Amino acid sequence: MDPALIGRRSHLAFALAGIAAALMVFISEGAHWQSVRTLDRLDEMAAVPADLQVLQWGLVDALAARQPKANGAVAPEAGRDAQSRITEAFAALDTYYLDRPEARPSLTALHSLVTDRLATPHTGADRPGQAESADAAMIDLRRASADLLQRETASVAQARVDLTRTLTLGRVGVASLSLLCLIALGLYLRQSLALKRQQQTVQSLLRVERDLEVEVAQRTAQLTDLAQHLQTAREDERSRLARDLHDELGALLTSAKLDAARIKSRLDGNAPEALERLAHLVTMLNSGIALKRRIIEDLRPSALEALGLVATLEILGREFAQSSGITVQCDLAPVALARSGDLVVYRLVQEAITNISKYAQASHTWVTMAERESRVEVSVRDDGVGFDTMATAHSAYGLMGMRFRVQAELGTLSVVSAPGRGTLISMSLPATAAVPG
Amino acid sequence: MRQLRTYLVEDSAVIREGLIATLEELGPIHVVGSAEDEVTAVCWLSQPANQAELVIVDIFLRTGSGLGVLRTVATQAPMRRLVVLSNYTSPEMRRRCLELGAAQVFDKSNDIEALLTYCAAMAAALGDGEAPPGPGPQSP
Repeated sequence: MDPALIGRRSHLAFALAGIAAALMVFISEGAHWQSVRTLDRLDEMAAVPADLQVLQWGLVDALAARQPKANGAVAPEAGRDAQSRITEAFAALDTYYLDRPEARPSLTALHSLVTDRLATPHTGADRPGQAESADAAMIDLRRASADLLQRETASVAQARVDLTRTLTLGRVGVASLSLLCLIALGLYLRQSLALKRQQQTVQSLLRVERDLEVEVAQRTAQLTDLAQHLQTAREDERSRLARDLHDELGALLTSAKLDAARIKSRLDGNAPEALERLAHLVTMLNSGIALKRRIIEDLRPSALEALGLVATLEILGREFAQSSGITVQCDLAPVALARSGDLVVYRLVQEAITNISKYAQASHTWVTMAERESRVEVSVRDDGVGFDTMATAHSAYGLMGMRFRVQAELGTLSVVSAPGRGTLISMSLPATAAVPG
Repeated sequence: MRQLRTYLVEDSAVIREGLIATLEELGPIHVVGSAEDEVTAVCWLSQPANQAELVIVDIFLRTGSGLGVLRTVATQAPMRRLVVLSNYTSPEMRRRCLELGAAQVFDKSNDIEALLTYCAAMAAALGDGEAPPGPGPQSP
């Protein structure tokens, strides 16, 4: 997989995870504070019935304090105390209902009820009437409180519902978070497993590639060896064939010609018809000899052994100049090479010259050979049309074969050319110990 | 006509036999010895006791080369005539042989009659007590 893509994906995943975490914290905190608020409200609500209770008892006590006792004495302290409790309870209730206008009428009714009761003048005549009056006050008060209590019960129920909802929300949130975590973990594991598999695949591909490279290198080396072996075998075969043709066939033909000369001398004009046949025989023998020579020269440059490399290359250049009309300039110094090296140099120059006459359309050719720092440097340059060395050339196999032969002699071959720029073929071979005399 | 004392340097036995027979039958030649490699030839020719008026040398030998023979013995005896008889007579080879002291170069396959003519002229010159002939007839 593309690493950039993985990077982008992980960025996205991190962003999503961050958003999810923030959302979860937000929900959780919201639920918490919502719960705290609801619980506070419940506390406040729980105070309302207590306040109402205090109010009731306060009113009873207040009314009772106004009742003269059996000994005719009144208790002004008890009355004041009851009055202050009533005031406190009302203060608490007023505060509580300050922001609950819908309950205001009931509270106002309660206020006016208590105020009315406390304001009713004391008759002091009939005691049972007094008692009835207190009971009636209590009943009125309870009736007035009932509405508030009912409201509070409803509010508490509502708060419970709110609380339950908030807690449920929190629960769902935690459950979702856990689920998300599990899913994320699952995805992560799957991803890392896939990544691991992918790495394994890449590893095995790399291994296969390495194996293939080794295989290709081995095959190439084998092919190079084979090509060198074939080249050597071919040259040996040509050499043997040339020797056989020269030694055996050459001797037979020459011998036959010598015999023809002797026969001619014996006939000495006595048998013109036989002389004519003999002349024909000699012509045939000459044709055979010429053919044999041509074949031998093609097979093996006999001049190489007889005259040495420099002279042979000069002959090659001169003959090429004569046959092609191209100016050939030779700058050749004697070099120290083994016989196989001589042959490789000769064949390279021959191949290069053949290519020049076939493709180059050159007007000048330069052939150089010199020894520098134990290396024999040979070059053939022309001013012809050149070619693109990257493209497959006509003479690709010829040059490839030359390359193998040069490599077999531990040398290097380079071809420099470009369309319209001519061609330079140069070779470097290791020299043997000394320059021959 | 007097017989030319001739030494033959030729590595092929078949040609050597044919050549000796032909030269002795058709020309004023007496083959006094032969060699099939450079060392043997140079050894024989360097001995003052071995007298030869004509030496016929092939270029390709069993070992060494006819050019080596020419190089070594050409200056030894001014009266001795050296000629090359070879299957390899390119203009270049001809030039080199002449440079090394050969009096004439004959093609083994085509110039046998020219060689015989050359020998006859040389024998005639020697027999008459005159100086040895010049380069002799030009080979084709």
